[in-house]
Order: sequence, then structure tokens, then C-alpha cells
Amino acid sequence: MKIGVYFCQCGTNITEKIDPEKVREEALGMPGVAYFKTVEYICSEEGKAFLERDLKEERPDRVVITACSPRDYEKTFRECVAKAGINPYFMQMVNLREQVAWVTSDPEEAARKATNYIRGAAARVSRHVPLEEKEIEVCPDVLVVGAGPAGLKAALAMAKADRKIALVEKSPMLGGMPVRYEELFPNLECGPCTLEPVLAEVLQEKQIEILTLSEVAEVAGYCGNFLVKIRQSPRYVEITKCIGCGECINPCPISTANQFNCGLNERKAIAFAQTGGLPNAPFIDSSACRRFEGEDCQLCKAACPVEGAVVFDDREKILERNVGAVILAVGSGLYDCTRFPALAYGKSSSVYTSMEFERLLAATGPTGGKVLGRDGKPPESLAIVHCVGSLDSRHRRYCSGVCCQYAFKFNQIIKHKLPQAKVFHFHRELVAPGKEEFALFERATGNSQATFIRYGNLKDIEITGQDGQSEVRYQDASGKKGKVVADMVILCPAVVPAEGSQHLANLLETPQDKFGFFEELHGRADAAQSKIKGIFLAGTCQGPKDIQASMNQGMAAAGHVLSQLPEGKKLKIEPITAFVNEEACSGCKVCRSVCPYKAIGFDAEQGVSRVNALLCHGCGTCVAACPSGAMEGYHFTRDQIFAEIEGVLQ
Amino acid sequence: MTQQVKETGRENGFEPKIVGFLCNWCSYAGADKASLAQTPYPPNVRVVRVMCSGRVDPQLVLQAYKKGADGVLILACHFGDCHYKEGNFRATQRHRMLLKLLKQQGIDEERCRFDYVSAGEGEKFVQVVTEMTDTIKRLGPLRRKCV
Repeated sequence: MKIGVYFCQCGTNITEKIDPEKVREEALGMPGVAYFKTVEYICSEEGKAFLERDLKEERPDRVVITACSPRDYEKTFRECVAKAGINPYFMQMVNLREQVAWVTSDPEEAARKATNYIRGAAARVSRHVPLEEKEIEVCPDVLVVGAGPAGLKAALAMAKADRKIALVEKSPMLGGMPVRYEELFPNLECGPCTLEPVLAEVLQEKQIEILTLSEVAEVAGYCGNFLVKIRQSPRYVEITKCIGCGECINPCPISTANQFNCGLNERKAIAFAQTGGLPNAPFIDSSACRRFEGEDCQLCKAACPVEGAVVFDDREKILERNVGAVILAVGSGLYDCTRFPALAYGKSSSVYTSMEFERLLAATGPTGGKVLGRDGKPPESLAIVHCVGSLDSRHRRYCSGVCCQYAFKFNQIIKHKLPQAKVFHFHRELVAPGKEEFALFERATGNSQATFIRYGNLKDIEITGQDGQSEVRYQDASGKKGKVVADMVILCPAVVPAEGSQHLANLLETPQDKFGFFEELHGRADAAQSKIKGIFLAGTCQGPKDIQASMNQGMAAAGHVLSQLPEGKKLKIEPITAFVNEEACSGCKVCRSVCPYKAIGFDAEQGVSRVNALLCHGCGTCVAACPSGAMEGYHFTRDQIFAEIEGVLQ
Repeated sequence: MTQQVKETGRENGFEPKIVGFLCNWCSYAGADKASLAQTPYPPNVRVVRVMCSGRVDPQLVLQAYKKGADGVLILACHFGDCHYKEGNFRATQRHRMLLKLLKQQGIDEERCRFDYVSAGEGEKFVQVVTEMTDTIKRLGPLRRKCV
């Protein structure tokens, strides 16, 4: 074993404290160390050129570079070493500048410490094994799950970069939540109009395959090469033929609760999800249509002016798509308000969720945009209860972030639509972050018809309903009791993971956080990546956020896909990963339980764990956890670390 | 260990050997950060870099004692900051278990310190290293037959 040591002087940064001559003598006595050379600045162009040239001449088996922090230069020197034809992982750096020279006062101590470190490095590097970066072919196509603001933005951005996108949406229409809101906070812009340009582009974009009424059924594979099965429910209307005239709808004899309006009105068995909803084609609800009860009703088909647009024999399809990456943008749901019996949701007809109220405000909603109670009368007073479940350690221990803003929006819309109506805000805290949001807050609090009552605990609010009216009894934060009468009560439930998130998380083996949202790779630095390579997160499926933040995250996710999985390039697999010594593996699966990246699979036939190098991030947690010592980490093996420990302590 | 031995440890110029297992992303970066002030700190800690504090299994710590360390430092990211999300949490669990093991072997708990140093906490790194060096000086050399 021939080890070469290169000692960077870093000008005088290192030599001021550490005399290389003192170190040289010691180093040359270390096992395997064949030579010791000083370089003035090894990171300079001349320094690197010298290193490469010298390595080619000396042909050492291993290299130790004593210089500055490996955090800054390990990659650079690995490249130099590789250029000289030596495996880049046959090099070990010693951090003499940051962790010895700059922080040790006594030169004797500094030289001793430097010598220890070099001994540790030489002992370690002699045990290094050659490692190779592997490369795999990458499929450039992308699956986007969810066609709300985040998913649409991501799909469009990637399609513009010539990627083929499969856009899977479970509902019959695109746009997610904003297209169901009449106006958006903070500037009361029209919701559907805001998304219209994005939707129009998505519909025209040939690179995007739009799959409505669809969901992910199966996922196999890994980053760069997923095989996804998509289950598409029959629409019974051929989108490419339908002209969206709606002639089919009126003749339909069946009425059923309209889930797109939260059940506040009825729709026909053949219906648009929403007037103006895109794609502009109705769907047949097989759970309501007479044909699926055995009757041969053809009224819709008979009314349709286009041949072949209504397709009764449409069937469920399983579509297979090969994609390199997946973007999850499945959105969120609302906390179940019936968990608060005192708020009378579901019992009193005058209590609504914010989503139901949004639909009452919408021109496409059950009342055509008129604020009317279930009795058909406009309310004279409304109570808005903030933080229903949010900021509550027994329910949802976080601020949902958007509720105050939409409550202020409600306040302003009520002021415009019903100028005489009184508005009572029952709030725990009030938030208005951002450069535009405070203005809406000011307008809402400046509304002379509005009263803001701060409560301390949601338990202090009790709603009783009678004759389409509610009485809200409360105790405010100062302990004062009171009551108001409201014709309409609007609850602002916490934003929670969408229904089906758990199922999707299981399919994709993507971790969820303690609240059930898809867990980001890093809360601050990497919120658009999941903990699984190749699976990215956008919008409220990762955590509560507003439309702006959702769209931004959609772009961020698209950016990750485009930069991490560039078309035509192969994906490099970092060699510093865990690996299993299968003979020693007892099959206890402890490694699987501690891996944060689901990178460890289990071979049931052999009864051993296996690491998927593509998914492994190389943290070594499984190595430390393995009770049999069967798990090892490349470049951080027990043997290598033991050697380093022994070396630095001698 | 008796008070007398402890005092001797401090007086005879004993320079402890301490192995510091530092995670690459936070604590090692914190140690680098400490150098920017260029204020000297005790030279007794020998840093062994690992990718994550979650890699530090009891064997590594025991090996350090066996090979001459009088003390061991395990430095990790703060909770919530772990580059690998929860490796530091696993590390704290293992450290708790390790302390029990050390006790059985007659090794003072204070000889194995777990702490959190972020990439920005250069001063905290210096503080931890200084305190640990003082602690081990007070405790005196580890009697190797323990290990």
C-alpha cells in the first residue's frame, strides 16, 4: 500500500501554526505513507494541475490531502484524483485549516493534533474500497396527480420544456378549489378567471394528457423509472366529440344531490360538475342514472346533437404510463365540523362550512351567487367562527393560514351583497401575513357592520339552532359572556389532508407527517421534494397554504424535475449508500423501520433486507440500527471508522 | 472515582483525549464556523466526521474508549433540522441506551456527552468542546480496564 500525503500550506494560513517539517517526519513513519509533499495552494489552478501531474507520476494507491474543510473541497479533489486515473474514493481529506490551524494557539499542540488527524486519515484511506457512480436511464415523462393550481402550474411548466405529462384528476373537471370560489383573497379577484389562462393553456397543450375521473391505482419502480397504473372511471361522454351545449341535461328525469355544491342543491344524473367547468363536457353519474338500474332510458343521448358524444358502453380503463418522476398535488380537505357538537354543524340548518358558503357566493353555485339561507331568505346577521380545529392541541395543532383571509373576504363580500347585514367574527387569533393581506384585514375590521369577538377556547362557543336561526352563546377571552343571534353561521374548519391521501401515500410508499400531509424532504430547504427520490410535492397536500404559495410550489416541483431528471441525461447514483451483507442478515427488518426514505426492501424468499441504492441517501441510520452488523455503509464502514478512531487517538 | 483522584487529574497536567462524532451537515459545519472567529479552543477533541449522528452506534463509542479516548462527544443537528429528518432523534435514543451500558461498565455518564450544534453555532461548538475538556480533566483519565 502506497499512500501519498499532500500538505496544503494555504499560503500561511496553515503553516503559521503547523510546521509541515514536524508533521512530515511523523507522517513518513505511518503505515503505508510513502511520501509527503507540501503545496502552496492546492485548490488553485496550479495546485490542482500539480496534484494531477504528481499523482500520475507517483501512482499512489491512496491519497491524503491535508488542507481545509472537506465540506468545501472534497468534491474538487475527488475530481482531481479521478482525472489522474485513481478512484476518487481513494482520497481522504484532513481539515487542518478550520479545525486545527485557526483554532489552536500552541504550535506544538497544533502539530500534534495535525499528526493525529493524518494518522487517522491514512489508516482510514488504506481501508477504502473503490466506489463507482452508477448511471441509469431516465424516463423524461412525468405524472402529475391533481389538477388544482399547483398541479396545473407544474404540468404546464414542464410541458413547455417539452416533457410529456400525464395529468391525473379524480374529479370530472380541472382547476381544483379556486374555480369553485367566486372571489379570491386578498384582492377579491374572480376565482375562475384567475385560473382561466392556465387552464386554457393546459387544455391546448399537446404534451399534456388530461385524465379526469382518474386515480393512481398502482405504482412500481423508482426515481427515473416508475411504472404507474391509472384507473379511469367511465365518463360516458366523449370529451373530444362533446361540444358542451348542455342539451342532454334537461331531458334527464333523475335528480340527485349535487356534491359539487356540497349537497346544497340537486343536479341531474348527467350534468356538468360546474357551469363553465373545464373540460367543457358533462358526465353521467352511474350511481344515479336509470340505465344502471336496468332501464333503457336514452333521453340524454336522444337530445344530443352530436353523434357519438354520449357513450353508454364506456368502461373503466386501466392505463399504464412509464414516468421518471411523480408530482403529488392532490390538495387538501376540511376538518370534520361534526367533531364539535356544540357548534351544531349538521344539526342546525343555519350552520355552514366555509366551503358551503363559498358555493353560496358563487355565480355557478346553488343560489346563483345570492346569499340565501336554506329557507330562501337572505340573512340579516352572520356569525363567522374562525379556527374550527386549527390552533387546537386536541384537534389540529397548527394554524391553517388561509381561514382568517377568507373570513375577511366573506366579510367584504357580505358587505357588498347585503349592506345591512351584521357580521360577527369569533376568532382566537387573527393573522394577515404578506404584503397584500393586511389591506383586506383593515377593510374587514373597518366594516362598521362587523364585530370582532375574541374567544379563548372553542369550547366557550355554543350554537343552538331554532327556526332557521342560530343563537351563538359565547364567553370571550376576557371571560365576559354574551350571545348573538345569527341567521347564518359559517365555520372555518382547519385545512387537513385530502381524503385518500393515506391510500396514495401507501401506494407510493411516500411518508406523511404527523398530521397526515405528505412529508417534505426538508421543512425549509426542500419543501417541494418528498422524502422519496423522484416524488415531488406541490400545494396543500404538503401543508396548508394559499393559492400563490401552491402555484409557486408547483413551479418549484417542476424545477426539481427539470433539473434532477434532465432529458437525455442519465441519472447518477451516489455511491455512498448502505448495503446489506446478506449472509449476516437475520431478516429482522429493523433497518426498514428506521429508514426515512423507504430505501430498504425485503426479499421474502431469501429472508433478507435489500437496499435500493437509488433511494438511499447514505445517512447510515440503518447501519447503526442493525443488530446483526449485516448493514454497512459504503465509505463509512465500521472498519473504516474504527481505523480512523484508532488513528486519531494514537 | 474519589474526589482525590479527580483533583489529581486536574493538577498533573492531564490532557484528555476526546473523540467527537460530528454530523456532516450541522455540527461539522458548526465546527468549521467556529474557526472563522479564529479564537483558539482546547485542542483535545479529535473530530470523526459521519454523515449523520444517526450513524453513531454504541460500537463506535466503545471503540473510542477502547483505543484511548477519555471522553466522547456526539454532536447532532437540532431537532427538526436533521438533514435526514430524524437521524438525530435516533441518535438521542441510542445515546440514552448507551449511557445505561456505560454505567454497567463503570464509565461515568459525563464521559459521553450528546449535544446539538447547528451549522451556524460556532460559539456553541467552542462552548461544548471547552466544557467537555474541563469535565474530563476533572474526571481524570479513563481507567482502561473498564472497557
